[in-house]
Amino acid sequence: MDDQVVAVIENKPLGSSYGLLSLDAARQAQAARPGQFAMVRILGTGGVLLRRPMSIYDVKPDAAPHSGPRLIQLLYKVVGRGTRLMAGLKPGDPVALLAPLGHGFFVEDYLEQAEQADEVLHVAGGIGIAALLMAARELAEKGFKQRLFFGGRSRGDLVGAVDFRPYLRQIVVVTEDGSCGCRGYVTGPLEDHLARYPDRRFLLLACGPWAMLQATAELAGRYGHRLLVSMENRMGCGLGVCLGCCIRVEGEGHGAYQRVCTEGPVFWADKVVWERGTLPIT
Amino acid sequence: MPTVRDQKAKVVSDEPAARDNSQPAGDFEPSIEVEIAGVRFQNPVLTASGTFGYGQEFAHLIDLNRLGGICVKGISAAPMPGNPPPRIYETDSGMLNAIGLQNVGAKRFLEEKLPFLRTLRARTVVNVFGYTTEDYVRCIEILNDGDGIDAYELNISCPNTRCGGMVYGNDPKLTEEVVAASKRAARLPLWVKLSPNVTDITVLARAAENAGADALSLVNTFVGMAIDVETRTPRISNVTAGLSGPAIKPIALRMVYQTARAVRIPIIGLGGIATTEDALEFLIAGARAVQVGTANFYAPDTSIKIVEGIRTYCRRKRLHVDDLVGSLQVPTPNVEKATEY
Repeated sequence: MDDQVVAVIENKPLGSSYGLLSLDAARQAQAARPGQFAMVRILGTGGVLLRRPMSIYDVKPDAAPHSGPRLIQLLYKVVGRGTRLMAGLKPGDPVALLAPLGHGFFVEDYLEQAEQADEVLHVAGGIGIAALLMAARELAEKGFKQRLFFGGRSRGDLVGAVDFRPYLRQIVVVTEDGSCGCRGYVTGPLEDHLARYPDRRFLLLACGPWAMLQATAELAGRYGHRLLVSMENRMGCGLGVCLGCCIRVEGEGHGAYQRVCTEGPVFWADKVVWERGTLPIT
Repeated sequence: MPTVRDQKAKVVSDEPAARDNSQPAGDFEPSIEVEIAGVRFQNPVLTASGTFGYGQEFAHLIDLNRLGGICVKGISAAPMPGNPPPRIYETDSGMLNAIGLQNVGAKRFLEEKLPFLRTLRARTVVNVFGYTTEDYVRCIEILNDGDGIDAYELNISCPNTRCGGMVYGNDPKLTEEVVAASKRAARLPLWVKLSPNVTDITVLARAAENAGADALSLVNTFVGMAIDVETRTPRISNVTAGLSGPAIKPIALRMVYQTARAVRIPIIGLGGIATTEDALEFLIAGARAVQVGTANFYAPDTSIKIVEGIRTYCRRKRLHVDDLVGSLQVPTPNVEKATEY
């Protein structure tokens, strides 16, 4: 992990409220692994104080034919002041980037679970898609069969789906307003799939709103499949010191609070305590 | 006039003629060391409790040996789980937190965290928390066995626990009781961290001093809150939370200034310090040292930059840090308009 001031290479709007930010950060890009995240601080404005946690969507080599990854790409949705400032970034603007952070899709026995599964199912809600692309690529390179269930409020919320195409056998899209794919929540077609193949063994990877993750965890439990969730929470530091991002995870005794930034963001869903009263408001 | 770097601070401060602002810095090398309750710090910049973990988390980002000291996350005799999420929320120029003093407990701190801290040149100050006076004493008794702690900072000002903490810090009698008991138990200097959520902080400061406090840290966070108007729910599960960050700096500075005139023991100033100028303001207002808190979250190198900034300032002003402390000049009303800017 490094804390560096890096330059914006490109900031591409995707529809009205999403964008893809490319940062010139070779060292951090080379170190990034699937499911990790970055803490981003927009410099030169008095707008916000704290860094913002963002999934590392992808790493890309630059145009030159030489080397490994050089760009870190962050897929973002404009939801508040921090992401609004992010949307205003222009090529050349400096950004303080603390990355890569967290325990991504490389928790213990994760690949073992994938190997035992007939298929890996990705479940994404809206901007939660950003946590899954690198995992999908890595699993595809290892030869795993994969499918993506992708839900959003509306057609415009289904950004990034096209990037998954090379790695998956199918993408099932769902929108709450029915403007794209079938109407409803992403857990609908997911449950259909689980019910249709009761003899198959799946490994699920999910990222999205708390309620979607909770519903997915319930389905995975009911159908007896393992599920890894990439959790989201407000973060003060990303370094494990502010303890602002803790969620309740089964542990010693009656349970313990673990840091999304350090022990997570990826957890086995059956270890997360899905208490309604403790919803992170994000 | 020559000044000797390792000269005793007290002697140096008796020689104001040695400093002339109009002189170029030349080869003047200021001393930025400070002494608090018999402990020397290589510079007056510490990291504030709860914003810097146990130090090791920052080891690969900054050179910890350049810090004056590290105040570690509040430690209690027994481990504490902390509050349910959400625990933090950003506000204009500040942040609210209600972590609830989640910590590993004094025993595990000694076993797992202290050995690393012991290797550093930066001093280790352990922030101590309890629900009752007995808790504070028990925690100190456990910590007394640790090797490498330089001072205790008694946290009687946490706003996010149901009892203990700020309950003590709001009542001069309880403050005296817990400070006196802790002082008896402590084999190391005892700092007392005061709450700003009081009508007159000097009353509590004097109570702590009278009960034997060796130094005072001020201020802890201000109780605040934020509401999500869409859902009409609090932004933080604890409902109220402690406000920190640049938003609180002017109030914290005023409290340090007032307290410095009310007590004789050293003051460690904190509250929204994010730049060299912020830190200098606290020193000039009367703080012997400062702590950097919330800024560690978004700019981990803040403390190191402030150390260098203070050194540069002292060199330019031909002042040692000790001369800076409490050097605020307030023009008196009967003097004609100030001529120097």
